[in-house]
Amino acid sequence: MGDIQDNSHASILELSDVVRSVETVDGMKPIIDRFNYSFTSGKIHTIVGPSGSGKSSLLRLINRLDEKTSGDITFLGRSIESYPVTDLRIKIALVFQTPYLFPGTVKSNLTYSCGEQNSNNDEALGELLQKVGLEPGLLNRPHDKLSVGQQQRVALARSLSLEPDILMLDEPTSALDPGAARTIEDLLRDLNERFNLTLIMVTHNFEQALRLKGTSLVLVEGRLVESGESKELFEHPKNELTRKFIAGDLR
Amino acid sequence: MIETGFKEVAIAVSLMVLAIILARWQRAGTEKEMITGTIRSFVQLVAVGYALEFIFGLENIFAILGTLIIMMGVGAYTAGKRAKHIKNSFLLSFIAIFAGSLVTLGIMLALGIIKTKAQYMIPLGGMIIGNSMNCASIVMERLYSDISGNTLAIETSLSLGKSWREASAYYFRKAIKAGMIQMLNFFKTVGLVALPGAMTGMILAGASPLKAVLIQIIVGYMLTAAVTVTGIVSARLAIRQMFTKHHQLRID
Repeated sequence: MGDIQDNSHASILELSDVVRSVETVDGMKPIIDRFNYSFTSGKIHTIVGPSGSGKSSLLRLINRLDEKTSGDITFLGRSIESYPVTDLRIKIALVFQTPYLFPGTVKSNLTYSCGEQNSNNDEALGELLQKVGLEPGLLNRPHDKLSVGQQQRVALARSLSLEPDILMLDEPTSALDPGAARTIEDLLRDLNERFNLTLIMVTHNFEQALRLKGTSLVLVEGRLVESGESKELFEHPKNELTRKFIAGDLR
Repeated sequence: MIETGFKEVAIAVSLMVLAIILARWQRAGTEKEMITGTIRSFVQLVAVGYALEFIFGLENIFAILGTLIIMMGVGAYTAGKRAKHIKNSFLLSFIAIFAGSLVTLGIMLALGIIKTKAQYMIPLGGMIIGNSMNCASIVMERLYSDISGNTLAIETSLSLGKSWREASAYYFRKAIKAGMIQMLNFFKTVGLVALPGAMTGMILAGASPLKAVLIQIIVGYMLTAAVTVTGIVSARLAIRQMFTKHHQLRID
């Protein structure tokens, strides 16, 4: 880290010419196509685009659930390949679209990744639940006695227990009703503000990106077509594809 | 000992004829398969009988080992075909069956329980290979279906910083257990429900029941050891095909 005191505007994650091609019936096709972007530390980044545009694939490349075909991804100035994969995934956590809780209790899910040392510290675990807007009393609740919204929050808390530098979320509100989705949005903004946590969130809903503020990236057919401050970007889009996406003509 | 020759077999065919007539009468729809099965099993087993007579007559260790290797090849082909979703399933099955057979036959030879004679090596090897084949195919099939059916759980685990080994441990154990369950159930009912094959064969051939029981116990332990080794080896090899060294799930 060195002497840099204020690194809130430093680049934390950089993607250069990143390509991921997959085999299709018509041969190899890029699902991520020469993607270039530098994610700033401590900010909310929303990746928006129609379904099938490669948004989730991009997140999977960053925490190496999938392998890129070419290009470079650097995290804190070092290539992601230089980190042991299991460490990288703790530093850059990923919350999936569908929350999966391991059979057991809320508590056993929260301690899943941190191992034994914290498993008896109910106070710390309760605080973790409060961070995501849940009652500490839920700790001993069985995993299957929770609403989908609660499950998503527990999944979020479980990822936060890793104390990641970047939290990536893949359409975390898509299974939730609008009310529950709003509270998750508030929660994410709060986590970003209070803990200066860098967020990268995928959504197909540009209004959600507007509500989250921060910066947005528009992804269409694996290509970054436009990026910028969310309000400016969606109110005055420069790119034709962004305009089409906002108008709902890209599905 | 009961008289057995082609004449007795010809008479026994009357049982199959009766079964086929019954099946036809009840429109079971199995007659065709029963007819081909009758012919096929006759030809196949008689051919094997002659081949074994020949090999037993040679009393040559290379002929015995060659026969066992061919049996393993057929076993691996059968198991591999059933687990076709897994890459290199033939090779994996072969290695697993080979390991199970080598360990058990090797130990039995080393301890002097059996001698390097075709009379022991081939029937025992056949039982080991047959059971190992079933075990390998169940293990690989179960592993594939469980892992491909639980990708979200596994990738959630991986994304929380777990290794592929940790993320798949539960399915790994389950698959090995599935491969061994038949063997474990066998122990529970052995002798109570049906007399096992080796024992029945020996009693029919005129051996004393007690001697047949002792041999059957040895066979039971031997098969359990073989199935355990094959189950673990096949699960280990198959699971490596489903994850990269970078802890990424790879299921086609």
